[in-house]
Amino acid sequence: MQALRRGEWVLLAALAGEIALFALIAEQFLTLGNFFEVMRLSVELGLLAAAMTPIIITGGIDLSIGAMLGLSAVVFGAASRDWQLPAVAAAALALAVGGAGGALNALLIARVGIPPLIVTLGSLSLFRGLAEGLTQGAVNYSGYSPRFLQLGQGYQWGVVPAQLPLFVLVFAAYVVLLHQSAIGRQLYAIGFTAAGSRYAGVPVARRVGLLYFLSGLVASLAAIVYVAHLGQARADAGAGYELDAITAVVLGGASVFGGRGSLWGTLLGLFAITVLQNGLHLAALPSELVGLLTATLLVTTIAMGASASARRDAARATAGFGVLSLEDEVSLRNTHVAVICAAIVAGALIVSGTNVWLVRSLERTGGPAASAAARPAGGPIVVAMMPKAKGDPYFVSCRAGAEEAARELGVELIWDGPTSLDAAKQNELVENWITRKVNVIAVAVENRAAISSVLRKARERGIKVLTWDADAEANARDYFVNQATAEGIANTLTDEAARLLGGKGDFAIITGALSAANQNEWIAFIRKRLAARYPDLKLATIRPSDDDRDKAFAETQTILRVNPTVKLMMAISAPAVPGSAEAVRQAGRTDVKVIGLSLPNINKPYVHGGVVQTVVLWNTRDLGYLTIHAGALLANGQLGASATTLQAGRLGNIEVRASEIILGPPLMFTKANIDNFDF
Amino acid sequence: MNYRRELSVALAIVVLGVVLALARPAFFSAENLNDLFLANMAVLVCAVGATLVILVGEIDIAVGSTFAFCSVAAGVVATSGLPLPVAALTACVAGVVVGAVDGALVAFAGIPSIVVTLAAMIGVRDALRWATQGAWIENLPASFQWLGLTQGSYPMAMAALLLVLIVSATWLMSETAAGRAVYATGSNRRAATLVGLDPALVVFAVFAIAGLLAGLGALINAARFNQIPSNGGIGLEMKAIAAVVVGGTAISGGRGTMLGTVLGVVLLGAIGPALTFMGVSAYWERALHGAIILTAVAIDALRARRAVPTVTAARAAAVSA
Amino acid sequence: MTLLEARSLTKSFAGVRALKGASFDLRPGEVHALVGENGAGKSTLIKIMTGAETPDGGTLTVAGETVRRMDPHTARALGIAAIYQQPSLFPDLSVAENIALALDGASLWRRVDWGARRRAAEALLDRLGAHLDPNGAVDALSMPEQQIVEIAKALGARARIVIMDEPTASLSDREVSRLFEIVQRLRADGTGIIYISHRLDEIFTLADRVTVLRDGETLVTREREGLRRDELIHLMVGRELSAVYPKRAIEPGDVVLELRGLSSRASGLSDVSLSVRRGEILGVAGLVGSGRTELAETIFGLRPYDSGTILVRNRAVPIGSPADAIALGIGYLPEDRRQHGAILEMSVAANMTLANLRAVSPRGLVDAAAERREAARFVERLRIKTPSVATEVGLLSGGNQQKVALARWLAIEPSVLVLDEPTQGVDVGAKSEIHAIMGELAARGVGILMISSELPEVLGMSDRIAVMRGGRIVGQVERDAASPQEILSMALHS
Repeated sequence: MQALRRGEWVLLAALAGEIALFALIAEQFLTLGNFFEVMRLSVELGLLAAAMTPIIITGGIDLSIGAMLGLSAVVFGAASRDWQLPAVAAAALALAVGGAGGALNALLIARVGIPPLIVTLGSLSLFRGLAEGLTQGAVNYSGYSPRFLQLGQGYQWGVVPAQLPLFVLVFAAYVVLLHQSAIGRQLYAIGFTAAGSRYAGVPVARRVGLLYFLSGLVASLAAIVYVAHLGQARADAGAGYELDAITAVVLGGASVFGGRGSLWGTLLGLFAITVLQNGLHLAALPSELVGLLTATLLVTTIAMGASASARRDAARATAGFGVLSLEDEVSLRNTHVAVICAAIVAGALIVSGTNVWLVRSLERTGGPAASAAARPAGGPIVVAMMPKAKGDPYFVSCRAGAEEAARELGVELIWDGPTSLDAAKQNELVENWITRKVNVIAVAVENRAAISSVLRKARERGIKVLTWDADAEANARDYFVNQATAEGIANTLTDEAARLLGGKGDFAIITGALSAANQNEWIAFIRKRLAARYPDLKLATIRPSDDDRDKAFAETQTILRVNPTVKLMMAISAPAVPGSAEAVRQAGRTDVKVIGLSLPNINKPYVHGGVVQTVVLWNTRDLGYLTIHAGALLANGQLGASATTLQAGRLGNIEVRASEIILGPPLMFTKANIDNFDF
Repeated sequence: MNYRRELSVALAIVVLGVVLALARPAFFSAENLNDLFLANMAVLVCAVGATLVILVGEIDIAVGSTFAFCSVAAGVVATSGLPLPVAALTACVAGVVVGAVDGALVAFAGIPSIVVTLAAMIGVRDALRWATQGAWIENLPASFQWLGLTQGSYPMAMAALLLVLIVSATWLMSETAAGRAVYATGSNRRAATLVGLDPALVVFAVFAIAGLLAGLGALINAARFNQIPSNGGIGLEMKAIAAVVVGGTAISGGRGTMLGTVLGVVLLGAIGPALTFMGVSAYWERALHGAIILTAVAIDALRARRAVPTVTAARAAAVSA
Repeated sequence: MTLLEARSLTKSFAGVRALKGASFDLRPGEVHALVGENGAGKSTLIKIMTGAETPDGGTLTVAGETVRRMDPHTARALGIAAIYQQPSLFPDLSVAENIALALDGASLWRRVDWGARRRAAEALLDRLGAHLDPNGAVDALSMPEQQIVEIAKALGARARIVIMDEPTASLSDREVSRLFEIVQRLRADGTGIIYISHRLDEIFTLADRVTVLRDGETLVTREREGLRRDELIHLMVGRELSAVYPKRAIEPGDVVLELRGLSSRASGLSDVSLSVRRGEILGVAGLVGSGRTELAETIFGLRPYDSGTILVRNRAVPIGSPADAIALGIGYLPEDRRQHGAILEMSVAANMTLANLRAVSPRGLVDAAAERREAARFVERLRIKTPSVATEVGLLSGGNQQKVALARWLAIEPSVLVLDEPTQGVDVGAKSEIHAIMGELAARGVGILMISSELPEVLGMSDRIAVMRGGRIVGQVERDAASPQEILSMALHS
């Protein structure tokens, strides 16, 4: 015990060093506000990591914890919205589900004796699958009472995030369980040797089962916090969280073989990760670096830990030759810790180095140098622009336009966002930008309810807020840069489908991510249009593609087979159009038309090949361009609340309708014009 | 060694087949089976690699990221004008590189494989996203699709390739000392050292081979299309591992067959389309997958328990030393 | 010419000097016993000979050639084979494959000839008189059967130098005699055998020469001829050991543990009935595999039983788990010390309190200070050699580890103590200490059920002896009425 604490003090000192470095290079890093925001963002993950710690210490693992978060969130949402239960009852139900799932894991792992890796791999699929099944993939529960949302978005005593005391409570309970109670001692024994513990009278099955049961409960608790935090509950909530939790625990010194580790270590590991993420965001470095650095940190730490414990094992092998002193134990542990420190310092050096490089490159692209210090009043405008997902080619093309405008105007553009659709990460990033005190925040909203409160907060702090591509709530932003209304898009697609099918026949829709709000909105308008104008045009089925080309391909194949009367595929997600087209082409079904919402480049071969008739879109590059112009105008006070038009560089006069800035009519790419575009 | 598990899975497949034959015989049309095969052949190739990794007592959750990386690498080479064999080789080499790095960290640096492959999974995917900015590889030369063959002959060529792969893998695993070394290392690493094997080398080699197979899978899958997305392979590792486990390979290593893995891929790969054909909402597919995995391993465990527990000390003692 | 010669070998681990100057030589056709207390350096010396460790200093010469670098591969090539106490086998592979893997070279690109493997395995097993299925999986074998496979491996390797490290620890007397025959055969072939054992009887039966190691160096090498037992013990321990078995005269009290008709098909027990009185030591003798450990585990709640009754202090009680047994005051020191004894990565104190955490955990939270006091008490009482109660048990010698394990059961203040091979693999000094402790416990009124494969120990310690065979009790005798022959014949007769 003594050695443990000493080692962790050293880690804490290393973290202090990391913090000091970030304070130098990252905007607003070392403020109380930022500290607490970091805390808030870590609560859900922290809860999971706390529950994961004793499980890993007993030599187990729980991969299903993130999926259980999703399932509980969905159950909570359904209970609140569909069954109109009050928040407390809905929470109780969610906890019951968590307990049931945890009990299932406990039964299979502790009683039947199946290795935890496989059980939780299976239950991961089961829980996530149940969540998807229950919501049919599409439903997205939102609309909670403001009192409930206070739990996740409000503050206690002015500055402490409301969910933090809850986390502290759960963490403290686990500390007592693992580090102070007799049960905790038994858990460590189980981690070292389950068989040996059994022979010492430890009720192994009961203890291990308890941990998995608790893990399910804690995941549900985290789900409730998550829903309060984001204001929405979706089937994919918590996806990937289990891996982050495991990373935090292992980084904190726990061995995956069991017996070693502590909650304090986990806390420090969690802290190391979140501070790293936070610091990188504030230093305006790309999100991909987070993953890379975390991965490197993880590997480096464990590598050194592994060699230290190998030495320890070798020493132990000499049974009977006097004894290793306690100092040796401590020095082994300190080596492990020293390496974490070195890695963190190296990481921070890399970060500061890249920041310096970035600064210099920004100087080159025009505009006065962006220093890391607080922005002087006369400096360049900083616009922070966020896509829904950085990896999506659609948004990549928007970025090109944004960068063009930034260069033109001498605006500093920060472009960052989650690497894949993730409402929670969007929130986190906006929080960081608020801390960093940027001038304008422009977000392509993944989830309306979730993002609106944090955007409102930005406005309160004097930051101008724009939404683009997909909107938030009206009072959460100054303007919405709209490429086309949802209704307009839906109508264009439906009309085109009708035109190609001669007003009657069956068609199918391939949509994108299971619960994408704007896609669901389009579908709703499509149905309306069908009902109003095209009674003979039937929507046979809607299938998801998860924005995955291969999946769109497979789904289309299946549709062609199962619904042979379908004569048109309407794919409303950029990767889905070529996927669907390829399936139609390979099947040789020249009688089936394909249209959709997508980018020109990836569809050129199909348009030219006559497989895809029409691709509907808008000029994404212009959208990005316009957004930056609008942002600059807003920041300079040149775009008042009652404007009806604005000047946007090469786009000329742009219409402003109420609080929407309209880009223009949708573009239709056909064989005739598609080669004129390159994005 | 008995084949009870493989028989059970085969039985499950037969039952599923009978249900489909009665309810929706259209499932068995040549085109549908063809498409099913093409959609799952990459999973099968990666599952062969996963079998090796699990047999040796480790795990690899980075397969999906490796797959994406190799796809993109092949595409980049193909679009730069180099001939097709070079692109194909690139895919495989890229896979070997990732596998070798993972294998080195696991085997020589002693880091647990769950940690290494977790880091690789995140690191490779993020690096790939950064490098490609989400863009797809387009303008592939016409010879890339179908690897120069035709749409009609590709499936048969691939079926032949896969057959050769599986048969060789099975043969190598049971008839060569190298293959037996994998089983031995997975069964008892300490004992393996004592008989003169080098477990570190075996583990390293297994990861490198699994990487190679991921690259091969990436290649043959990429060739089905004329563009390569940069975010492929998501969830592939779970599919592969699930197939391996359902097919009877013990997660602790040392026990399992390639035949089991093939059967596992077939069963799990058929569930989704079967659901769709029967009109059941496919949103339950994942839940069903999970249920199958849990049932399979539960049956395994319950059956093992019912067998007479010979002195547990014996097994425990055998495993130690 | 000597087969093997080790001269002044030194080896340190993380600053601890395991060997300070060990020398040893082996002549062809001789059985050379290597003895010493636990911690004297025997296993390190062996590891150097088999290439599992490299020495820091000194030389190793095999067949006249100095060996530069020894590793397992080289050792095998030089004809050195080792048989350890714990079998080192592949549980998922077959017996034949296990044997074959040990014999094949390390080249990886060979085609495997399954037929030849099976035949080779059959031949070797025949030579040992064992009837094991070559195609059966090893994890289905019992411990002694696994040992036989180990020996077959060594046989097959046609080793010139065979190291046997406590090979008879889990063998029945019949199997031991068979082993001795093989040893003689090997000897006649000119093979040299290094024989490590704590069982002095075996040493005096088999060995030609005896080398004593103490504190990492060779003390002396003597011809066995003319060496006396007490002399040997004195050399090993450096002090006079009085009677190996403490003389006691105990008046046994009430029956504290009684088994009536205990049967379990899964464990192979049939109609076991016996009783243990307070203050009495009931020795349970029998061949390995006769069901003694299964019986012990059943009493302790680790194994379920189909029918019969267990009575503790004359009350019939269901014992469904170790926790139940402990609550009734039953403690169990398991046979497999490494797997089920003290937990090596935990401290002395933590190990001692593990079975009775409630005593040091008021309100469920562990009172560290109370735990330390408890542990210190036992360290003193059992004379455990450890720098502190916070030391990891894995750093102690085998005998001290066993004492820590014993302390765990003393901590529950048992009324019944089941000891399964309590002094197996323990050096002579610690052995007698453990026997003394057993005597003390009995004097205090604890009923002891002692399972032992060492007849002298059974005869020396027990007040009564029960003999098991095939899962049944085939005879019970009072100590005074017992003779080794009678017990052996009861254990053997079929």
